[in-house]
Amino acid sequence: MISRLRAVWNNMFHRRQLDRDLDEELQAYVELVAAGTLRAGMDPEDAQIHARRQTGGIDQIVQNVRDVRMGVWLDRLVQDVRFGIRTLAKNPTFSLVAVGTLALGIGANTAMFSLLDQVVLKLLPVSRPEQLVIVRETGNHYGNSYGPNTISWPMFEDLRDNNQVFSGMFCRFPASVTIGYGDQVGQISAELVSSAYFQTLGVRTVLGRTIGHDDDSVPDSKPVVVLSYSFWQSYFNADRNIVGRTIALNRQVMTVIGVAQPGFDGAEIGNPAKVFVPIMMKTEMTPHSDGLKDRRRRLSWVTAYGRLKPGLTVEQAQASLQPLLHGILEMEAQQPEFTRSTTAADRQVFLRNRVELLPGSDNGLREYMRTPLWLLLALTGAVLLLACANLANLSLARATAREKEFAVRMAIGAGRARIVRQLLVESLLLSACGTVVGLALAFFADRILLRIYLPADAVTEFQVSPIPDGRVLAFAVGLTLLTSLVFGLLPAVRSSRTEITPSLGDRSSALSTGGISLRRILVSIQMSLSLLLLIGAGLFVRTLRNLENAGPGFSTDHLLTFTTTPTRSGYSYEETKSYYQRMNVNLQAMPGVESVALSTMPILRGFAWQNAILGKEFEGTPIEQQPYLSQVSPDYFTALGIPVIAGRAFTPQDVAPTDYAVVNESFAKEYFPGRNPIGQRFGLVDDMRTVTPNTEVIGVIADRKYRDLRETPHAQAYFPYLEGGDIRGMTVYVRTRTDPRGFEDALRERLRQFDPHVPVVGLETVNEQIGFSLRTERLVASLSAVFGGVATLLAVIGLYGVMAYAVLRRTREIGIRIALGALRSNVIAMVMREVLLLIAFGLAAGVVLALVLANLIRSQLYGLGAHDPLTFMGAAIVLVFAAGFAGFIPALRASGVDPTTALRQE
Amino acid sequence: MAGNESELVQGTLDVLILKAVALQELHGMGISRRIGQMTNGAFDVKAGSLFPALHRMEQAGWLTSSWGQAETNRRAKFYALTKTGRKQLRAETERWARISFAMAAALGIGQEAL
Repeated sequence: MISRLRAVWNNMFHRRQLDRDLDEELQAYVELVAAGTLRAGMDPEDAQIHARRQTGGIDQIVQNVRDVRMGVWLDRLVQDVRFGIRTLAKNPTFSLVAVGTLALGIGANTAMFSLLDQVVLKLLPVSRPEQLVIVRETGNHYGNSYGPNTISWPMFEDLRDNNQVFSGMFCRFPASVTIGYGDQVGQISAELVSSAYFQTLGVRTVLGRTIGHDDDSVPDSKPVVVLSYSFWQSYFNADRNIVGRTIALNRQVMTVIGVAQPGFDGAEIGNPAKVFVPIMMKTEMTPHSDGLKDRRRRLSWVTAYGRLKPGLTVEQAQASLQPLLHGILEMEAQQPEFTRSTTAADRQVFLRNRVELLPGSDNGLREYMRTPLWLLLALTGAVLLLACANLANLSLARATAREKEFAVRMAIGAGRARIVRQLLVESLLLSACGTVVGLALAFFADRILLRIYLPADAVTEFQVSPIPDGRVLAFAVGLTLLTSLVFGLLPAVRSSRTEITPSLGDRSSALSTGGISLRRILVSIQMSLSLLLLIGAGLFVRTLRNLENAGPGFSTDHLLTFTTTPTRSGYSYEETKSYYQRMNVNLQAMPGVESVALSTMPILRGFAWQNAILGKEFEGTPIEQQPYLSQVSPDYFTALGIPVIAGRAFTPQDVAPTDYAVVNESFAKEYFPGRNPIGQRFGLVDDMRTVTPNTEVIGVIADRKYRDLRETPHAQAYFPYLEGGDIRGMTVYVRTRTDPRGFEDALRERLRQFDPHVPVVGLETVNEQIGFSLRTERLVASLSAVFGGVATLLAVIGLYGVMAYAVLRRTREIGIRIALGALRSNVIAMVMREVLLLIAFGLAAGVVLALVLANLIRSQLYGLGAHDPLTFMGAAIVLVFAAGFAGFIPALRASGVDPTTALRQE
Repeated sequence: MAGNESELVQGTLDVLILKAVALQELHGMGISRRIGQMTNGAFDVKAGSLFPALHRMEQAGWLTSSWGQAETNRRAKFYALTKTGRKQLRAETERWARISFAMAAALGIGQEAL
């Protein structure tokens, strides 16, 4: 190896010395042969001649030895690169256009990939993250659930203690807690973790120790906390004496035992935990909710993780865990809390639930962002492909102009491979320059994208940075090679087929085909690709428009919202009730406030409180049809402007818990079809006790959105706030008389004075909140529109180039036609026929492609089908007009050909 | 076999060169002569094949070279076997033993002699 490296080194930097040595060596050989024959009795002159003949052509040998030398390819590469640079510098317009186009294409792709990689693809920063899996149960759980990837605490214990496939298993639960340190109060995200968490992940501490088994064996026993590195730095100024100090979480005094290693922010990428608390402290961290101690099997709330034993595949592990899960399900199906709320048919469905292992670095947020980001990368990929087609087109035209050069080189002995390589080196040079510029563009693009897509706090949450890392650089280098091949190979191979004799002759321009048919195919492909992008842009822009127009079903102007959770500041239920009663009065008295609404569930934030209901005619509801529920203040409907269309809204006199309910139209239609819903009764199914339907419907409101803007009308039921059940926190909506933006600071200050112990979270206008919830749709719509425009521009330039070239080549023919009496309009028609043919081919292919590919984005659309005819037609019309215009310019020029000049051109 | 190196079986030249310089370091001409002696004149290695092979083998690390005095007091480049070269020679020798034994068996050369 070393001798090889030395050889390369010598070849690169001591070539002259090596050549001199070789000459001398061969000279010695000749003389030695001559000396040998001389000894045998030949006369000196003959011996010299004989020796030369014996040796053969010295030059040939020298060349062969040089070829043998390691690094000869390098040698030629350097030659090719030098020549390439010279050629490209000689044609600066072409080079600049090429580099610019590539920089845009590669930059866009790199920017999108960087975002995709950091938001969706990267794995947890723990040891061997690929071994880590989330253990979930598929199918209906028949109970309360904190999300699709959660299981109950007893289920976790059973799996942890009885599985054969994991070298370690832990579970976690994300929670928001109120932190008090010194005189600061705020809300932060915490991760409640089981004892094996740090050990299984392989995460260490930089200070102190991690949470171990002793901290997590007895509920409420160990008020200890590990800080995340970034939180320790930002909140505690990296105080090295922090271990042993105490902080207050939800007013519970906790001892800091350690600081986790840098870069580790919990098991959920995109939702960084600031503190890690033993899950045995659940009661203190989530006051008045105790899935840990009451061991309810119908409440799934922890996310379980396992580290696969080395050598085990996910499939093997799933197969091994399935019997274990089935045994647990059999046992659960016997329990009264299951039988109480389910039928025999439910039981059969329940027993078919399966174990599923998901990649440990996945989570719901990343799942949600995956499709849009991949989609955008696909769009940028298509744009790059289009750019490559344009460059291939340009290079083909250039190759035609360079036919003489190639012919000369081949005539003096260059092989085809050498010509191909030369051209590939040139395209590689262009790509490399494009990539360098593109990387800079990507950096700025990412900075802008991040500002639009992920607001300031979210950027820190995903820890997304516009600075490219190794993976992004590797991606860019891969793109460089790929693009140079894509746009370089076709012209290169074609050029290498140059025939020497005709090209060297004078009539080269008349004889060469110029790859015109190849270029036509390229243009048609460009047309179809840009149609595809235009259709995509149309679909996404209209989806965004539809979502914005659809709105939530009530007026969101002059509406501010915020959330408080007094129970996390140590308030009892009674104190919480009083807190909200006082707040309601206080805010309504505030100057500039029109009305105030309170609700236990925030609207349009993707959350829902769902429960099965029963009535006289119906019992239990499949989980996906369970109505959305909420508890609201008496003024809620008036304040939000939701019309009560039958009966009445709540009054402050409706005090008995869940005695009265207001439902929406969909609820009334679904559960009381054909009857007057007012006065009907229903009840909420409870797995802890048997329920009778005694909640009376007193009013019906118009349908409005609850969970998000995309939802279809769903059954909703509302109960009086403060009365039906115990309230931990509420979301407040304040309708102002003036611009709500200017009102925010005054409101924040008033709330601080009202109660400084309860942090106010998420204070913003509802319009801002909705705008944020549509950020993915907005990003996709705006970027796809930009890409669609760029794609169309590229395709149109491509078409123009080809047609202009075709007209130029046919100048003589056109001249003859005009001389023979063809009208200007005839010539225009002749050229335009060709243009329209190209467009037609492109459109046909594009429509077919779009019909197939649109199915992939169906789930991303709203308010229109994936094959929306209006969008398809609109895109086609835009393209036909743009391309037709581009084709018309050469047609016009053709019609202006002067026959005398054209005929003399020969 | 005719003494034309173009008919040399692939890889023959390398092993012959290795063998030629196994005993003592030799210059190009010397190697050519030694191969002739070793094969009873069956192989006459011409400069056109010899020198590219020598340079290739030197770069592979099998040979080292140094300048020295030849018979006629002429400065010449001498080639010697390196450790890897010696290993290579051993491996090649074994390979050739296997091949020639197998070929002999296949073509019935040994039986004819019996």
